[in-house]
This record gives sequence, structure tokens and C-alpha cells, in this order.
Amino acid sequence: MMRRVLPYVLLGVGTLVVTFPFVWMITTAFKTQTEATMSTLNLWPSVWQWRNFAETFRAAPFARYFFNSFLVAFTVTAAVIVTSLMAGYAFARLEFPGSRILFGLVLATMMIPFEVTLIPNFVLIRRLDWYNAYPALIVPWCANAFSIFLMRQAFLSLPSDYFDAAKVDGCGHLRFLARIAAPLVKPMVVTVGLFAFLGSYNSLLWPLVVTSEEAMRVVQVGLTVFSGAEGVRLHLLMCASAIVILPTVALYFAAQRYFLEGSIGAGIKG
Amino acid sequence: MRHAARAVLTLTLVMGAVGCGGRSQTSDASGTPASGARPAFTPVDETAAVFWDRQTTETAELLRTLVDDYNAGRPQDLLPVKLEHVGGYTDIFRKVSASIQARALPAMAVGYQSMTSEYVQAGAVVALDAFVQDPAVGFAPEDLGDFFPVVLETNRYSDFDNAMYSFPFCKSALMMFFNKKVLADAGIEAPPVTWEEFFAQCRQVKEKTGKHAYAVSVDCSTIDGFVYSMGGDVIDGQTTLFDQIASVRVFELFEALAKEELAYQISPGTYDDETALAHNEIAFMFRSSSARTSIQMLMEGDDDRWGMTRIPQADPANPRTVLYGPNICVFNTTPEQQRAAWAFIKYFTSAETGVKWALGTGYLPIRKSAAKDPQMQAFWDEWAYNRAAFDCLEFAKSEPTVAGWQEVRLLVEKAQTEVLTGIKSARQAVLDLKHKADAVLAQQ
Repeated sequence: MMRRVLPYVLLGVGTLVVTFPFVWMITTAFKTQTEATMSTLNLWPSVWQWRNFAETFRAAPFARYFFNSFLVAFTVTAAVIVTSLMAGYAFARLEFPGSRILFGLVLATMMIPFEVTLIPNFVLIRRLDWYNAYPALIVPWCANAFSIFLMRQAFLSLPSDYFDAAKVDGCGHLRFLARIAAPLVKPMVVTVGLFAFLGSYNSLLWPLVVTSEEAMRVVQVGLTVFSGAEGVRLHLLMCASAIVILPTVALYFAAQRYFLEGSIGAGIKG
Repeated sequence: MRHAARAVLTLTLVMGAVGCGGRSQTSDASGTPASGARPAFTPVDETAAVFWDRQTTETAELLRTLVDDYNAGRPQDLLPVKLEHVGGYTDIFRKVSASIQARALPAMAVGYQSMTSEYVQAGAVVALDAFVQDPAVGFAPEDLGDFFPVVLETNRYSDFDNAMYSFPFCKSALMMFFNKKVLADAGIEAPPVTWEEFFAQCRQVKEKTGKHAYAVSVDCSTIDGFVYSMGGDVIDGQTTLFDQIASVRVFELFEALAKEELAYQISPGTYDDETALAHNEIAFMFRSSSARTSIQMLMEGDDDRWGMTRIPQADPANPRTVLYGPNICVFNTTPEQQRAAWAFIKYFTSAETGVKWALGTGYLPIRKSAAKDPQMQAFWDEWAYNRAAFDCLEFAKSEPTVAGWQEVRLLVEKAQTEVLTGIKSARQAVLDLKHKADAVLAQQ
């Protein structure tokens, strides 16, 4: 009996621990500033402050920020899927001189922290005259080593017989990739897409550096307006955060099945 | 922890990047761009004098209104001012540092002296002395005399011919905030005046109420203020004084407070001390006077429950505290942009605008004449402690403006954390701090 119940108890505790911050965030979004800063674990607001949402939207043009975030995140996601599919396939299936060295170099870029490339990238953006423009938010993130690595691993798991058979039927690399290989690694494509979307949607420092016009700002930058040098408007910050995470939560639930399959297939934890 | 490490890494890298610009003096001490030097930076916007700022919510709204007022009344031959929110101070520093490398800058930006020092090294800011003294656009002697001397001095950079590379923007003083209810529960009637009284009251609070007396927000400016109030200083030329008696006493105070569990360290970057004070969980906290509005909000208008006074002193007859708050620096772009930036600075620091800004934000008025302003007087009459910070302007002292101080600040905060967590003794911490800080300054 104990052996059967214990896993459920442990899972229940784990679920509580994981979900508590989210519940806290949502209920805090409905509290007053004083209530929000109480050090007790009282989750429920004494009076539900619906006006916090109106105040949040008054503090910054969130509608515009959402538009920018979606535009940037979806474009980056599409671009990352295309580039990682093609590069991953090339590294997994094509034989060309220096492919191992080139793949090593691609992987090596994962070792360079973002902070190191911030200034050179910014200088490049200025020289290209992309400051305060969508290309600055999109182009630098259209390919990344981690996604290429994931796709390569996925393609390596496909039997080479598939390609041989397709080749006999006159199928070239591009057609094989588009018609046969890509559909077979769909869970990994979804995983790469999710990582790309989340990375782009959640980025703060880069959009802050390459934009200054309100019209070009993204939602994560919008969250900074609730933190000043003199204090944090915790209730409004949580209110804005609750709104901002909604799309990512929805996306995760929609793609959950593929994401788990992809993560397991790549031997990584999601 | 990972975020903190990333922040430190970023700051170090951008400081390195700014440093790579070299010490190219593109302007002389009088503020006139030097000929034959590196060409000036390109403005980020040719049609407006862009101002990078960090204000949020109501203060941002007020600043926007002031900018609009200025633009509406400005002479037509001057560029309009365009306000852009660029995040916090660290974000502004990162962005300016990156922009220096890209050689495109706004007309002006807010920043602390330690940030401006880095910009000066890269030749990115202009000295304002020529503007200040200019008969046409500068200040008349009596007008200049209206400023508290310390707010102007804090903008002189000893490393760079003592030139004025920035102008005061938001000024505040380090103050002690106290919770009257917690003190009353401990049988204390008035806040401490000396450090000995402070320590004794901390013990009394702990003994009588079982509460921690003080929530410590680790911060270099607070340490500087404590050292000043102990009668010491933190720097002499290019050498730090962290091994001197005043500094040792400060670190020993933190060591004793931590050992006896009279104080605890709040999470870095949070305002948990303000919350704890508002919820009667602690008796004291030390913050900038600009925190007054935030505490007032947290106290929900119950002004009888708390107060704000000058920090305890070693010698109350000769009080000292630290003056802080950002300044505005004007970047080395085109003369047209510089003129527009200076005109806005002059408008913003006028007696009338200064009072509006002080009343709307909780920052201190930087002119002596504000004391005679009826609106200011009415504000001071509203609550007994409203004037406390303004009175500190007579004896407040600014923090060092030498190049490399930004990095020294991180070392000071690391040393304070080491003492509070018991990793190092106060004596060991100050010796290590002095050694490392001097090495940083020697590299400049």
C-alpha cells in the first residue's frame, strides 16, 4: 500500500512546489501594494483588486509591446526551424571536407556567453542602420548552435536506408529533407521551435539595447517600468507578469506532447 | 546567484569595452571640443536631443511633462528634447558603453559619477565648465551660488583636471528610517543619534521584541555614508582608505550586528527592508531619502508609525552623510546637440522646475532658495520629517568620482556580504578590500 501511495505523495508535493510561484503570482496580481509585500504566505487577497489590470495597461503601451513580441518571436521561431533543419541535416547526412571541424566550430559558439558578443553585435547593428528596427530584434537570433545540434542528433537517429531508398527513386537532398526527414523528426522540430520562441519572447537585454522607441519595445522591457530605484510595484509587476506569461503557457500546453517526445528523443531534459 | 554572476560579468565586460576606447581627450577641461582629436560621436537622432533616462511610473510622467513644457517654450533655434526610457542604471551604462563602441550617442543621459568617469575615459562626454561660465547661456554668479556647493562639487572629476563632466539631476541623501512602533515596543522613545546608541538600541529591540533590529541592504553608497559619519573617508587621491579606523569600525559594526543576530541581509536588488519596516518587522533601515515616497505608500499613509532622520554619527556636532543620486552628462556629439542638452539642463535645474521636481518625486531640491519657496515650506510643514533630508545637504558629502570606482563598488559590496555572512572577519575583509580596490584604481 505504502509503495503505491508514496510516488503519488511525492508527485503531489513536487507539483505543489512547482505551481506555488505561479499561484502566488496570480493572486498577488489582485492584491494591494501593502498586501502584496506581506511576508506571510496568505495567498488570497482580502479584496480583489481588478483595477490593477487597468493600472498595468495604463503604465505602459502593452498592446504595442505584445504585437512586437509576437512578431519577433514567431519570425525568429520560423527562421530557427528552417536554419537548424538545413544545417542539422547537412551535418548529419552530407559528407564534405571539414564537416567535423565546422560542426565543432558551430558547437564552440555555445561556449561564448551572450555578454561577450553584446557590444560587437550592437556595433554591427548600428553600422547596418538597424537600430530601432525589427531586423535588429530578429536577424541576430535566426540561427543558433543548440538548435542545429538538436536537429543533427534527430537526423542521425533516422536509418540511412530511408535516404538510400529515396535516392534510388530519384529524390535529392532538399526534397528528402522537406518531404521525408522533416516530418519524421516533427517532435524535435516542435522542441526547437519552442526553445526558439521562448528564448526570443523572454529576451530583455538585447531588445533594451537595440531599441529606444516605445513603438519598438517588447513585453519584457515593459515589465521594467514597475521597478524603479526607490522600490518595486510588486502587485502591478505580478499583474503584468501574469499577462505576459499567458502566451508561453498556452503554447507549451498546445505543444506539450511533441515537446516531451522531442526532449526524450534528444536525450535532454525539458 | 547565476544572475548575479552574469550581471558582474556583463558589467566587467562592458567596463572593459569602454576602457578599450582609451583615454582620448576629445574635449578640454573648459568643455570646448578639442580640435584634431578623435571626431565627435554621431547623434542617435539628428532631429532631437535624445535624453536617456531611467524614471518609471509617476516620476517618468512628471519628467515627460517637464520635457513637454520645455519643448513648448524653448527657443526655436534649439533642438527639441526627446525622452527615452532605457531601463535601470546598469542598463543605461551597458547601452552607453555599447554606443560608445558604435560611436553613436544620445545628447545626454543620466548616470552616477562612477559611470561618467568611464565615459570620460573614452572621450565620450564633454566638460560643462564652458557652458556654466558662458555669459550668454551659463549661470550668473549669484545664480550659481544658489546651488548647494556639494551638489556641484560632486560633478567635478579629480582624475580629469577637476572638470565638471556632469550636472546634478536627482539628489538624495543617505538617511535612517525607523519604525516608531517597534522602537516603542522596545521601550525606546527617540531614534539614536550616535553609533553607540544605535548599537545599544539594536540590542534592546532584539531583547525586548525578539525582532531583528536592522535589515541590511548591501550597498557601497551606504558603506561610504557610514564611513563619513564615523569621521573618515574612503579615498585619498588614488588610494583607498578602507584599512583606516573609520572604515574598520563600520565593518566591525556589521560584524557585531550579524554575530548577535541584530541584523540580517536582505536579498540583493530587492526592497525587502522597506517591506519589513512597513510591516513592523524591523526597527531600522538605511536608504536614500528618495525612498520616502515608497515607504509612505507601504505604510498606507500612517505617518505616525515611522520617521526619517539623519544617520547616527561618531560626532553629532560635525555630522556627515553621503549625497547620492544621478547626474546628467552631455555627450560629445555635435555642438547643436550639446547646446540643446545644456539648455534643457539649465531649465531643469532652475529654481522653479527644481521645486516642482522635488515635490513630485521625493528627491531633494538642489538650490538653497528652495527653502524660501512657499510650496516647499508647505510640504515641510505637512510632516515633521519632510525637511530632514534637505537639512542634510549642508553637510552631505559626495562619493568618489575617480575612474575605476564602479568596479571598487562591487568589491565593497562583496566585502560587506563576506562580513555579514561570517566568511571573513571585519579586519580581514577590509585588508583584502583595500588591496583589491587599490589594484583596480592603479590599473586606470
